Amino acid sequence: MSTTRRDFVSSVTGFGALWLAAAVACRNSDAPPTDRHGPLLDSPEPARVLRFLTPEEAKEVEAIAARIIPTDETPGAREAGVIWFIDGALATFGEESQQVVREALPALAIAVAKKHPGRARFSGLTEAEQDAFLHGYEKEPLFGILRFGTIAGMFTLPKYGGNKDWIGWELIGQERVFEYKPPFGWYDRPENQRALLGRVL
Amino acid sequence: MPQTQPKGRTFATDSPVDFVVIGSGPAGGSVARELSRQGLDVVLLEQGRTVPPEEMEHDELGALWTGRWSNDPKLQPQTFRHSSTETAVQRNYLGYAKAVGGSSFHYTANYWRFRPIDFNEYSVKGGVAGAELADWPITYEELEPYYTAVEWAIGVSGLANAAPGEPPRSRPYPMPPLNVTGPGVLLTLGCDKLGYSSMPAPMAIASRPYKGRQPCHNCGFCLAFPCEWGAKSGTNHTMVPEALTTGRCELRAESYVRKIETDASGRVTGVIYFDRDRAEHVQRAKAVVLCANGAESPRLLLNSKSNRFPDGLANSSGQVGKRLMFNGGGTARAEFEHEVNGHRGPVVTRISHHLFEPDPRLGFVGGGGFDFRFDVPAMLTALTLPPSEPQWGSAFKKRLKPWFTHSLLGYAHTTSLPVATNSVSLDPKLKDAWGSPAIRTTFREHEHDLRLYKYYQDRTVALLEAAGAKATYRDPIREDPGFAVHMLGTCRMGNDPRDSVVDKYHRAHDVRNLFIVDGSSFVTSGRGQPTLTIQALAFRAADHIGRFAKRGEI
Repeated sequence: MSTTRRDFVSSVTGFGALWLAAAVACRNSDAPPTDRHGPLLDSPEPARVLRFLTPEEAKEVEAIAARIIPTDETPGAREAGVIWFIDGALATFGEESQQVVREALPALAIAVAKKHPGRARFSGLTEAEQDAFLHGYEKEPLFGILRFGTIAGMFTLPKYGGNKDWIGWELIGQERVFEYKPPFGWYDRPENQRALLGRVL
Repeated sequence: MPQTQPKGRTFATDSPVDFVVIGSGPAGGSVARELSRQGLDVVLLEQGRTVPPEEMEHDELGALWTGRWSNDPKLQPQTFRHSSTETAVQRNYLGYAKAVGGSSFHYTANYWRFRPIDFNEYSVKGGVAGAELADWPITYEELEPYYTAVEWAIGVSGLANAAPGEPPRSRPYPMPPLNVTGPGVLLTLGCDKLGYSSMPAPMAIASRPYKGRQPCHNCGFCLAFPCEWGAKSGTNHTMVPEALTTGRCELRAESYVRKIETDASGRVTGVIYFDRDRAEHVQRAKAVVLCANGAESPRLLLNSKSNRFPDGLANSSGQVGKRLMFNGGGTARAEFEHEVNGHRGPVVTRISHHLFEPDPRLGFVGGGGFDFRFDVPAMLTALTLPPSEPQWGSAFKKRLKPWFTHSLLGYAHTTSLPVATNSVSLDPKLKDAWGSPAIRTTFREHEHDLRLYKYYQDRTVALLEAAGAKATYRDPIREDPGFAVHMLGTCRMGNDPRDSVVDKYHRAHDVRNLFIVDGSSFVTSGRGQPTLTIQALAFRAADHIGRFAKRGEI
């Protein structure tokens, strides 16, 4: 990205540490009539079939994703179907993270049981217990992978499995359009430019 | 609607074509267009695909993460180290588009001109210990007609002479500036408050219908994305189709050159390349113009060694791959009271060159410029909230929309010094998927530059605060940038064959019928946005190369 991407930023971890990821490891009105649309935003979602995770693993992974972007007044990771994105990524471009995920989940169960004797499933904890547990789990590689997977699954195209019905874009304020007309926001409105700058650019 | 690609011509591989041009980006696409328009035959080889408009999705994962349209680290791995005392580790350090159009396929399209000082700063200000500064063998005045030619040929939007200090120009811009965005207004406000000049950003994006292309639709997906409307003036929308229309140019996409071949007399005879099925071909040529970018061009020269050229082609000076420069800079992020919505519209619409040359009392060589922008879409925004913000959970979720709609990035772009030990070389072990030695980057910022970046970051923060930022967050400045896209200086142009690779006409000092034109030609880095200068050099080189060809001087 600029793209000298000096601007982004430390501490993004995740599977498929590819292109920008390497960087991030450190962050008109007189237009003619439009005769075609831009990209096909409605490419079909993939089938809802697990490709790497087992159903038991998927349940734990989804429970963690649901705390990273919780369901509250608005839909969260669960409703966006990020589990399908994460599973699909692990089966494809993120395959180098397969082993970490597969080995970390049993270890997670042991850590949960240690903190909550008699209970060995993260997904069986209350939301408050889950949050408290994750606060001590943020530095673990599994958390980094799932944080990346949850956020990526929330905001990338539905064709990759998550962002169902564009829930993620709705959440963050990215509209499903191919073009905008000015004004784009508050500051570039002519009356506000006049007030701020004494002129309209 | 973007134009469909004309068919072009077909040449036989075993019959020497006038020119093989390697790379279809801002340099190679332009050289192919200029030479073919002069009536010379050109085979244009490009390692990437021709990407049709219907495939240009707003696919952030593909564009920024999985290398859908860029160099693929799984096929073309790279290594990195800070200095020759370290063992390089595998890391994708240099990024560039892999498609017809080269990096203009997905660029942000900032089209700053250099100023006269960029070409003779060494004479004016002197050197810096530990850096190998030099004057360019050409002046701004020599390049000016080609800057203008590029701006009109491809379509650049802007306003001439809109701020003090702008370099002389022979024509205004062919199109008025793009619509100003929230970040543009806020940059201007910050500049007004600090007494800095500012001006509309010169952008290689159509603001009006231009040569059959549509103007910008303000979709916001610019940086790292192709333009499905054809409004960005990349060579895939401009130079390459025009070259093919001459009937003298053949585009061979998905053609990956592994070696430039020479004969016993030391002349280039052609190139060996792989097609999409990894079948090897030899294209014979009377001359080769290498335009593969500041990393791939030196790599190919080093990979083209032979008995006659044991240290790599055109490398008797030992300078191929040396003095790698990126553009430096400093950034800071800030949230504002009202909706900025920088994800709508072009990435950059206003810039400030007020500190193009900083106060001489600061003792810096070089300088910089500023823009405000919001340049990455939803996914990367959410992944990279400042560390001062929550990183997961309900609090994180509640901060996403305010940050997406109300924040922006203040960006200072600067020079960086040519340092002998910063380089592109061949990794001794790692190979690409075709068996050729991989790129090894060696890079550490010069101490002078770290101070320069910090100074410009401080001024960026001052601009953000003057514009009313609620709070600012400085992105860290490190001993290396972590990832880079402007690869410059690795086949320096100069008059002395002992310390440069090409002469002032981009002819290799060592090989009469080999020319190298791209970011590798740069003697100094410029203040931030190199593409227009790369393209102007390409127009100028092609002008001279075409004349050499017609006079039998190749």
